[in-house]
Amino acid sequence: MSNRDFDIIVVGGGHAGVEAARAAARMGRQVALVTMDKSRLALMSCNPAVGGIGKSHLVKEVDALGGLMGEAIDATGIQFRRLNLSRGPAVWSTRAQADRIRYNEYVCNRIKAIPRITIIEETVARIIVENDAVCGVGCESNREISGSAVIICSGTFLSGLIHIGKKQIKAGRMDEPAAVGLSASLKEYGFEIGRLKTGTPPRLDGKTIDFSVCKEQPGEDPIPFFSCRSEKRRFKQVSCYLTDTTTTTKKLITNSFDQSAIFSGQIKATGPRYCPSIEDKFFRFPDKPTHQIFLEPEGNGTDEIYPNGFSTALPESIQREAIRTVRGLEKAEITRPGYAVEYDFCPPHQIKLSLETRLVAGLFLAGQINGTSGYEEAAAQGLIAGLNASLYLMDQPAVVLDRSEAYIGVMIDDLCTRPITEPYRMFTSRAEYRLALREDNARDRLTVYADRYGLIDRQESEAFAQLQHDTNILIDKLESTRVRVTELGAAGDRFRKADKVSLGNLIRQPHLTLEESIGLVISLNPELNSGGESLIRAAIQIRYKGYLAKQKREIDKFRKLETMIIPDRFDYQAITGLKKEAIERLTRYRPQSLGQAGRLEGVSPGDLAILSVHLKRQGAFSG
Amino acid sequence: MRLAGRDSRKLSRKHIRFEKSEDDSMPPFLMKHGWFQRADSLPLDEVMAVFMPRGRSYTGFDQVEIYCHGGAEVVKLLLEELLRSGARAAEPGEFTRLAFLSGRIDLAKAEAVAEMIEARTANSLEAAREHLTGAYSEHIDMLRNGLVAVLAEIEASIDFPEEEIAPDGGKTLADDLEKLIEQVAELKDSYSSGRILRDGFRIVIGGRPNAGKSTLFNLLLKQERALVTEQPGTTRDYLSEWIEIEGVPVNLIDTAGLRLGGSRIEKAGQNIARKLIDKSDLLIWVVDMSRKRWRAELKSDLQDLKANHILLVGNKIDALTKPLELGCFSPSAESVMISCRSGEGLDRFSRMLASIIMASVSDMTSGLIVTSARHKQKLTRALSRMKKAGRMLKRSESPELIGFELKQAVVELDELTGRIYNDEILERIFSKFCIGK
Repeated sequence: MSNRDFDIIVVGGGHAGVEAARAAARMGRQVALVTMDKSRLALMSCNPAVGGIGKSHLVKEVDALGGLMGEAIDATGIQFRRLNLSRGPAVWSTRAQADRIRYNEYVCNRIKAIPRITIIEETVARIIVENDAVCGVGCESNREISGSAVIICSGTFLSGLIHIGKKQIKAGRMDEPAAVGLSASLKEYGFEIGRLKTGTPPRLDGKTIDFSVCKEQPGEDPIPFFSCRSEKRRFKQVSCYLTDTTTTTKKLITNSFDQSAIFSGQIKATGPRYCPSIEDKFFRFPDKPTHQIFLEPEGNGTDEIYPNGFSTALPESIQREAIRTVRGLEKAEITRPGYAVEYDFCPPHQIKLSLETRLVAGLFLAGQINGTSGYEEAAAQGLIAGLNASLYLMDQPAVVLDRSEAYIGVMIDDLCTRPITEPYRMFTSRAEYRLALREDNARDRLTVYADRYGLIDRQESEAFAQLQHDTNILIDKLESTRVRVTELGAAGDRFRKADKVSLGNLIRQPHLTLEESIGLVISLNPELNSGGESLIRAAIQIRYKGYLAKQKREIDKFRKLETMIIPDRFDYQAITGLKKEAIERLTRYRPQSLGQAGRLEGVSPGDLAILSVHLKRQGAFSG
Repeated sequence: MRLAGRDSRKLSRKHIRFEKSEDDSMPPFLMKHGWFQRADSLPLDEVMAVFMPRGRSYTGFDQVEIYCHGGAEVVKLLLEELLRSGARAAEPGEFTRLAFLSGRIDLAKAEAVAEMIEARTANSLEAAREHLTGAYSEHIDMLRNGLVAVLAEIEASIDFPEEEIAPDGGKTLADDLEKLIEQVAELKDSYSSGRILRDGFRIVIGGRPNAGKSTLFNLLLKQERALVTEQPGTTRDYLSEWIEIEGVPVNLIDTAGLRLGGSRIEKAGQNIARKLIDKSDLLIWVVDMSRKRWRAELKSDLQDLKANHILLVGNKIDALTKPLELGCFSPSAESVMISCRSGEGLDRFSRMLASIIMASVSDMTSGLIVTSARHKQKLTRALSRMKKAGRMLKRSESPELIGFELKQAVVELDELTGRIYNDEILERIFSKFCIGK
């Protein structure tokens, strides 16, 4: 190993690649970050935004594990707000508009400053494998780079094919060449390769848009930053604008279905249903007369606008005509056309929960190559791959977060358990223990890992331990402090029978929003508001107390099955009684625990019972 | 005789010499004729045997059925041979358990098989059959899917807050949930009928000693089953018999008379009687109208009794000089006057009894009845979650908490049919709403 150029080679410098490289460097590894263009690290290929429902949970988790994404958006965001504030705190989500160029520059600077990372400008064309273990990569230039572990984060570049109307361009992003060799190389080593599709809208010149007829969406004050490490900078936030398509749009698009690459049969792969192209929207929901379009600024130094909701693969001429039917966009000029892009991915039943491939030891996959979509999903996988590749080199067991610990765990378990039929995006409804997996407690859940592997500084974990301590003291205070019902004003109506009520009880009242109850608490006991996060953290925990206790019992039940480990090369064929379909699924996905086996489609409770009996008989669960 | 498991064909071939002895193969679903032999080749019985391969048999596993001559000794003899060769006697219900494990039937169906076997009357059989055909599981799946649809809307409003989903739809959502609550409640309540169809309608005949309880018991049985004498306290223990009234299995229990004093054995019998009365579906309390103190006795007895449903029967009216009525004694109890000796009033009594029993199984006509206590428990739990969710929905409480309750309800229903909760919510969201910016 010592004679190799690097410990770890990261292929691709997108959102997954930079997190992977950083995490590995943090763990003391020498890292090569191989990218086609070193000025384009963590470029936002599509939406100039970070976060959103479910996705922001991932960003907070990445941040708790020492990742870069939260800091980058905090430093370069131009508008921040939280979604779902009228709902409970478990589903509050932060979203920020980025200054696209500055975000990319910020990440480049941060990565360049890390001594253990060497950025190499090359296009990787193949992996080099010896004795079923990866030992380097070969580049298009014929240069070979040796390394003991390889993390592939290829994004949409793997045999990327862009479609605009009938026009097809071999490219990973517009004007950037595709990586054509690598999927063939993977196939050579036995990997199954699939194809997915995604798309992006045309970009518009903001100077040609009439924002006065659109609905303004301002940022939130105080600014809800993502990272616990960020300086709370003050700046003037920019607004987004909301508009709608018109009946003319519908007519025009419906008449142009045959011109879109999506309907002409030219695109074989499936795209995401949660992010359909505008033609898809009119096709699948013909009864809906109009659709919302969000106009999002791409940065402070540019007039470019991203019309969110108008992704399309129509020919450029129709794109221009169609965009001008949208309210406020009647005179809009397109700066860059929208397009659909098809790319190769590696169906993720071929990876373990550590993100290492089953076929080639030391080869890890992260991001779109695993069938996901989104910067946040990619970043989270990149970080885990960087961490686990380092542990692989250190001969230590991989870190696997489970479904009750983190959205990251939910995502990776989903990838390894469910067939990918469209690019995978995070939603809060994917997390069955949603009440326990919140933005506000990401650090409570993950600091223990960040600390154990040195992903954050000692100071940071100590500061957090102090915050936890303060929060617990505050919880006790709130539960034990009782106030007279008469002091509560209108909010006290519900407690007429009682003389006094505890502040904890007040916070749990469903007819008050959390904010209202906190407001009341502060007005009654101003000394409890010490500033900082502890009050809101305490209030959330009190609010969900009963539910969290119930969920804890479910989690305990869930963990029992998760700890029943299925041996790596377990022979399902040898078990009588398993349905044929179940044997096929189990052999394809190779679940690592009985719990994971139960989540496979086609594996019934009966199959699970049979499997459990056999594993017990073999003493598989001992220890 | 049924053999199930991987070696069942091998074992059968070892013991059966087929008609054409050169061909000892057992192709699937071909009934073959031959002789069942002992290990030393001694022929034991002439049999037919058929092999059913894995996936196409009752159990879902490889299976062989051997048809021998009837008669307990023959069966025993062949069974012993098979056991000696390595087979294991099946536990009660094991073949059906295998059918469940192999995924051929769901849990509700497996339970239905047991119910069919235990069915006491044609009506009980009917209820069990509904479960086995899957009509019952389908009904539960329908309720479950309705619930998932409601859940999907709630989840959509959480995950896609900018997509103009729901808030106005909240009203119809609450209505949908309300309908589902009614349906689940109805199904749950059918357990009172279901339990009776399965375990029988339990009638306890009680009354003071020598009121004519056993005579009435015998009349109902239409046979001389209980020992009848003129001496009070003759029935010291209790007698239990099964009869059928209007297609409903009825467990008829004749108890020791209840009175103060008496021997110790008699007292023990009376304690049992009290317990039986507590657990009865109907107490027929027999009153000897010819006794002078019957009013005072009945008054104190009625204070003492804790029965769910009482039918007061005034017996021995043939000995009365003027007509008497019992109705005024207890507003909740029905009453009828009879004479077991003359037969007077017995028709009316029978009609009353039949209508009481019919009323207890009134849900039977719908065909979908909960007959198992386990199912009732699951439905009760699901229902309480759903009701809570319904209240929260009306008060516009946080959707993630409403979702939490509904998910639990779905899990309860899934545990009932033994199916695993699969994440289909997103599927529903995508098929229903145009999602995506």
